[in-house]
Amino acid sequence: MPAADVSFSVPTSLEEALAELAEEDAIALGGGTSVGLLLKNGLIEPQKIVWLAKVPDLRGVAVDDDGGLRIGAAVTLRELAGSSPVRTHAPALADAAGTVGNPRVRAVATLGGALAHADPRQDVPPVLLALDAEVRIAAPSGERIVPLAEFYTAFMETALAEGELVTQVVVPAADNRRTHYVRFTPGSEDDYPTVGVAISIARGADGRISRAVLALGGVGPTPLLVPQARELVGRSAPDPGEISAVAAAAEAAARPSDDQRGSARYKKAMARVWTERALHACLGEG
Amino acid sequence: MKLAFELNGAPVETEAEPDALLVDVIRGLGLTGTKEGCGVGVCGLCTVLVDDLPVSSCLYLAACARGSQVWTAEGLAREEPELVQAFVEHEGMQCGICTPGQVMAAAALVRGCPGASEAEIRDHQAGNLCRCTGYQTIVESVRACLASR
Amino acid sequence: MSRLDAWAKASGEARYVADMVLPGMLHVALVRSAVQHGRVRRVDSEQARAVEGVVGVFTADDVNRNTYGRSVRDIPILAGEKVRFVGERVAVVVAESRRAAEAAAALVEVEYDDLPAVTSAEEAIAQGAPLVHDAPWEYAGAAISQEDGHNLQSRVTEGSLTEVEAALGGAEHVVDRTYSTSSGHQGYLEPQACVASVEDGRVRLWVTNKSPYRLRTQLADCLGLDPASIEIEPVLLGGDFGGKGSPMDAPLCVELSRLVGRPVKLVLRYVEDLTATNPRHPARIHVRVGCDREGRLTGMALRALLNGGAYGGFKPLADVNLHGIEDCAMAYRVPALFVESTIAYTNTVPRGHMRSPGAPQAIFAVESALDELAAEAGLDPVDLRRRNLPRTGEPSSHGTTWLEARGLETLEAAVKHARTEQPEVPPGWRHGEGVAVYVRGLPGPPVTSVRLVPAPEGRVRVEVPIPETGTGSHTMVRNRLAAELGIDPEQVEVVQVSTEELPIDPGVGGSRVTVGMSEALGRAAEAWRRGGGDEPVAVELRPGDSAASAPVVCYCAQVAQVAVDPVTGQVKVLEVLSSVDVGDIINPAAHQMQIDGGAVMGYGFACLEDLFEEDGQFWAANLGEFKIPSTNDLPRLRTVLVEGGQGVTSANVKPVGELANVPTAAAIANAVAAATGCRIRDLPITSEKVFWAIEEESAR
Repeated sequence: MPAADVSFSVPTSLEEALAELAEEDAIALGGGTSVGLLLKNGLIEPQKIVWLAKVPDLRGVAVDDDGGLRIGAAVTLRELAGSSPVRTHAPALADAAGTVGNPRVRAVATLGGALAHADPRQDVPPVLLALDAEVRIAAPSGERIVPLAEFYTAFMETALAEGELVTQVVVPAADNRRTHYVRFTPGSEDDYPTVGVAISIARGADGRISRAVLALGGVGPTPLLVPQARELVGRSAPDPGEISAVAAAAEAAARPSDDQRGSARYKKAMARVWTERALHACLGEG
Repeated sequence: MKLAFELNGAPVETEAEPDALLVDVIRGLGLTGTKEGCGVGVCGLCTVLVDDLPVSSCLYLAACARGSQVWTAEGLAREEPELVQAFVEHEGMQCGICTPGQVMAAAALVRGCPGASEAEIRDHQAGNLCRCTGYQTIVESVRACLASR
Repeated sequence: MSRLDAWAKASGEARYVADMVLPGMLHVALVRSAVQHGRVRRVDSEQARAVEGVVGVFTADDVNRNTYGRSVRDIPILAGEKVRFVGERVAVVVAESRRAAEAAAALVEVEYDDLPAVTSAEEAIAQGAPLVHDAPWEYAGAAISQEDGHNLQSRVTEGSLTEVEAALGGAEHVVDRTYSTSSGHQGYLEPQACVASVEDGRVRLWVTNKSPYRLRTQLADCLGLDPASIEIEPVLLGGDFGGKGSPMDAPLCVELSRLVGRPVKLVLRYVEDLTATNPRHPARIHVRVGCDREGRLTGMALRALLNGGAYGGFKPLADVNLHGIEDCAMAYRVPALFVESTIAYTNTVPRGHMRSPGAPQAIFAVESALDELAAEAGLDPVDLRRRNLPRTGEPSSHGTTWLEARGLETLEAAVKHARTEQPEVPPGWRHGEGVAVYVRGLPGPPVTSVRLVPAPEGRVRVEVPIPETGTGSHTMVRNRLAAELGIDPEQVEVVQVSTEELPIDPGVGGSRVTVGMSEALGRAAEAWRRGGGDEPVAVELRPGDSAASAPVVCYCAQVAQVAVDPVTGQVKVLEVLSSVDVGDIINPAAHQMQIDGGAVMGYGFACLEDLFEEDGQFWAANLGEFKIPSTNDLPRLRTVLVEGGQGVTSANVKPVGELANVPTAAAIANAVAAATGCRIRDLPITSEKVFWAIEEESAR
């Protein structure tokens, strides 16, 4: 526990929040499930804690006319899981948010906080990757938009610069898209997944696959995209060989480390198995 | 810093460090029914309600509760004794160290999902560990809490 | 009628040690060793002392240099010249607040000269291994001598290996296998805590300890105090499971209160509980067992090697060993039996007792080996057991003839009920059923004391020496006394009193509370009735007061149903059915929770719990990583009570607290083997282990 020469502020506008976060050693606080732990263990010693829950611009889920979603960074995982627009337009995202941690985590943990914390074992990021999500980032100097695929730079590191804040996550609309997420928890169900697999498949009017995105969680320093899913584009009903080839690519792409949730070898093997299963589920009926 | 919030229905004002944790503030006010167990938000001993939502008070900064309504097992026992009574009648405890947290988790379920299915009860209560009972009587107690509404 | 502490516990009114506040109380935080084995070169506390609110920073130079322990006294109050494990207490901060104490403790700098370390039992007993203690046989209460070898806490043998080898030489089938179990933890959820006050030479303590009268003696021995000057106050314990039987930090807190002249309080952070208290011994167990053509066991040799960590003082038995290992073959007739249990000193956290100490490890090995033997002999595993369970009147493998032997009934009931309702198996998954049996003897003749005191309105107050650890012991006392006196339980008030008030008690543990209390209450009630209930009645059962208790045992047979996904190795335990040999039951709800809680703990041991020990450090150092079962993980639990057993005392009871957690791991391992053809001999049974075993099997 650090000595307490820290201040706590509750900005009520985005401008105010950004101005405060620009100060030296300021840290953004969402729900505190990560920051609280880091503070408590003396792993961070900020001068200023800036709590974002009262910033209206960071709250709420907006839906575009085409069904695209704009999700405020201070939206909690509980809100995400229960949001009817999210349930309608990206049900896999709502489901994934609803499996994180426990009800107390979900009640306070925010989407922006989860992205900024960048723990590669999380459930939500692979789903957002599969949904081609983009991250809006603001600083006092202005705003930029970064594809989520470019947001994660290294283990627990992101493209956020000092003083920058995730303000919104944009999930673009897509016609006829199905998304599927599986988390493989072979030990306790209440654990980070040994591997998480998110797959999103969109089809054109002709029924052929127009876009296929595969993302993995838990098997690398960051959530990973498996570009070979692209091979499925143009097919209407990929054959088992094609599905297996993508699954093999997932195994090859996985860069896990040995830990309590499995050896690197096992996690790679499971990335293949669960990719294959997720693809079948996503392509199949129901 | 000064910290004002409502605790179990009554206004309180206290001094707290800006990074103080809610569990320490509540316990410092003499309400020791809120326990600290694992300290990492997993075991659920420190479960309290902030504006009707369950939080791990061992990770939740007290400053975030400013102006909020905070409820602990002591307050619940007074205002919603039927929830505590459900755990008494169904023997939903042994050593008791997790019990206030279990009761608060049940209270959160009663508020957020009063029609919870058996699977939803189990999934919800999975956030509150118990090493003694094998959970059968806890699940029965939570079921009885829901039925009391 | 519900348990007497139910409302207080559920409403948050119940107070535990961590909830104690004394006037003028200071707070304590520990500085723990960062190295496995080293000489402490320098402790720099200058920065720590500068933290606002710090009252003092202390090292071994400031406190009593005597060592303490439950039997062997080998644990220093603070490490002196040398640290022996990562997490050992090196220095301590006392401050006005916990926050200040912890902040200051983080600023204490300790420099070490590293010494070569041994972190596994195998390394420790190898020739030329570095010594954890130079002369461990010199500690008071040591169970070994210099000739026994180096780095030994204990070695116990029973039977003759030569005889077993001769018997196995003539056996039709023999299996020879090695099993291992990981580092686990009791997993009580209340961190260990201690509040100590020393004033005018009088010591008062509130401590998470279940054996207050023994604690008083242990403290007096270590600190050179008159036991009469120490008072252990009544407390409520937030779970024990064997983890709260030692003095732990009490000697240190007494010393600190003496040094600062004010009461002090230490509450561990849970990471300290997991990594630096007294968790379960990891074991490697070698079993050789054989049978004749009819499946009758002819001989068994079991050799266990356990990692005892840096100190042996957390184990209470005089042999500094675990009786569960010694009793490993008690369930069966084994004509020739050899058991050897070796516990080594290592540079890792000291290990202690956990619910049926040694038995979960040993029974996992024996009951797995029996299934392997059955497979070798082409016998059904249940059949093999049927042929070897002793009948009433026959001596057991340890030579005792019990009052009754109900192993067969217990096993038959388990199998019959398990097969009436088959669980649903997910499509594509393989189903397997596994059985395992455990028997537990009764503790020795009861030793305890109680007092009955008349209370207003015709009520009776019963004063007991034992803390309520959660099992419902105080409620059992209420119910039992009410039954003895023929009064309403409402008329009985149960109070734990301090060590000043009653003369003797060995504490909670060894499955002895219900038996001991029933005996004492029976006698007290008799005296109470004789005296008309107007005067207090005190009963004291000292060693030797009662005849050796009847050789009564309790059997528990479990059947596990598992489903295994052959593609991922994932194991789902669908059901654990426990069949339990019982006498009369005083409190059915509490009795059932001992079985359910036991089976869930057994499941956790089998499939989940692992501190991930590597080179003397634990990677799973919090409850997010060290997973214990939650409601999401539960198998379906079923229980069959095999009623009509002959128990002990006028209450006709049999202990139940340390039964159902024991056979579960073997039942699950046997079920996994039945489902997949793959035998997992190393706990926990993770999906990954099953996956590679299946791969290996199919590569053949």
